[in-house]
Amino acid sequence: MTTINAPTAIQPKKKKLSPRKRAQRIRIVQYAVLGLLVLVAVLFADGQQIVNVFFRPDLIAKALGPGLGMALLNTVLYSIGAFIFGLVLGTVLALMKLSQIGPYRWLATGYIEFFRGVPAIIVLLAFGLLGIAFPGLKFPLAPFGTVWTALGMVSAAYMAETIRAGIQAVPKGQVEAARSLGMPAGLATRYIVMPQAFRIVTPPLTNELILLVKDSSLVYVLGLTTGAFELTKYGREMSSTYGNLTPLIVAGFCYLLITLPLTLLVRRMEARQRKAR
Amino acid sequence: MKRLIGFAAGAAALTLALTGCANYSQPAAPATTGAATTDATSSAAAPKLVSAGKLTVCTHLSYPPFQFKDEATNKITGFDVDLMDVVAKSLGVTQEVVDIDFGQITSGAVFAAGTCDAGAAAITITDERQAAAPFSDPYFAATQALLVKKGSGITDLPDLKGKTLAVQTDTTGKIYAEKNVDANGYEIKVFDDMPTGANAVLSGAADAAINDNGVMFDFAKSNPDTEVVKEFATGEHYGFNTSKDNPELLAAINKALAAAKADGTYNTIYKKWFGVDAPK
Repeated sequence: MTTINAPTAIQPKKKKLSPRKRAQRIRIVQYAVLGLLVLVAVLFADGQQIVNVFFRPDLIAKALGPGLGMALLNTVLYSIGAFIFGLVLGTVLALMKLSQIGPYRWLATGYIEFFRGVPAIIVLLAFGLLGIAFPGLKFPLAPFGTVWTALGMVSAAYMAETIRAGIQAVPKGQVEAARSLGMPAGLATRYIVMPQAFRIVTPPLTNELILLVKDSSLVYVLGLTTGAFELTKYGREMSSTYGNLTPLIVAGFCYLLITLPLTLLVRRMEARQRKAR
Repeated sequence: MKRLIGFAAGAAALTLALTGCANYSQPAAPATTGAATTDATSSAAAPKLVSAGKLTVCTHLSYPPFQFKDEATNKITGFDVDLMDVVAKSLGVTQEVVDIDFGQITSGAVFAAGTCDAGAAAITITDERQAAAPFSDPYFAATQALLVKKGSGITDLPDLKGKTLAVQTDTTGKIYAEKNVDANGYEIKVFDDMPTGANAVLSGAADAAINDNGVMFDFAKSNPDTEVVKEFATGEHYGFNTSKDNPELLAAINKALAAAKADGTYNTIYKKWFGVDAPK
């Protein structure tokens, strides 16, 4: 160890800083970098131009038109429907993956690996053209039915893995206690394991819902009437019409209206879980 | 464990039933109510429609003044939409416009998939597209136009040597640009829709954009920083397209178009969107 400290011996004039002093200097450098960045931003960015391109008042007013509320509602409907579909299918897949029957496990694994590995936009494009393979095929409540099925099938793959982890996280003693009280395995799963598992996976599942809200922006590839436009399509359409980013920014903020409360919810649930443990 | 498996199997059956809900309905029955109320089409066989009582028309936004969204009403409007309204009226049904990928309309995929009855998206009639999904009689004559930023000094394709040219995917403008790329040495940048390509000229992401003259002049009018410097007489004509298996609808479209041209409706619509009388 003494040899490593040799540099101090070579430069005896340079005073060695105390750890506190060094931490203080590092902090000063960090603040200086931040200040420099702000200064550069202020000096080089043309404030008026930024407002004109990102926050043009008349376009904000236009974007807040009747279409926006509908687009917001559609985004919520697409995501919630897909979430419910994904939750049901994901639970089934999780149980299949834990099944003692080999083929069930293989099927579930194949499904999960396929839909987790394939981009959601490909699944949506395929669903949009499904009528070519099955002439006359029509989903109920189109385009909602199509979106719910397509996005639900993708999210089911993710949710299945989450739920499986949740089920396996329930202590084995819980099932053993239930069985020793004479409860059949099926009932034990339903009333003892699943409720506890879902409590464990609620925060990650809420995260999945947030992802779904954002994935609903891919719905445009199906082909939509203006009444079925979701936020991204609405903002994009208007942005390209006016050659301005303002409507896209407005649409982006609308996503935050949905996702921020959900993020807060997840944080609170996680905190409560940590406390309960 | 047996019960667990039983539960899983039951739930699996439930989801199967849920997914199976997609009903295999027959290609929609002819709109009997519509055909009954109009004497114009009652003589010919009523065309099949994908959803009864509606003429579902596929288009690709935005392509003003042919089709674009009116922010005030949140509805799609334009020259093509007005003409298709005339067709829908002649069938005694209402028009519903669906916005979808342009390539899916020209390839006929939207008809095979049962998404739409007809396509009205300022589609230039070409042999290849005609073979994929047949066209109605032409309803608009178009050329290709070159859009640049004012003061750029670019007046023709040779000026674009080493520069970028914005095109729209699956369009005749793209085909024209590709045909002339070797002679002029520009780089082609492909955009999803017309405004994104034209906006690229505004933002400097591309030096010029090529697209049909109607939309380009409209864009230059609302964006005075840009101008159309050259038109290429490609002799293009727009047509509405339909499924190969729906000649009745094609006949109805042609009939309605001819009637609109004869009684002046076509000219009124033309004047509404282009400000001048329709060329004879």
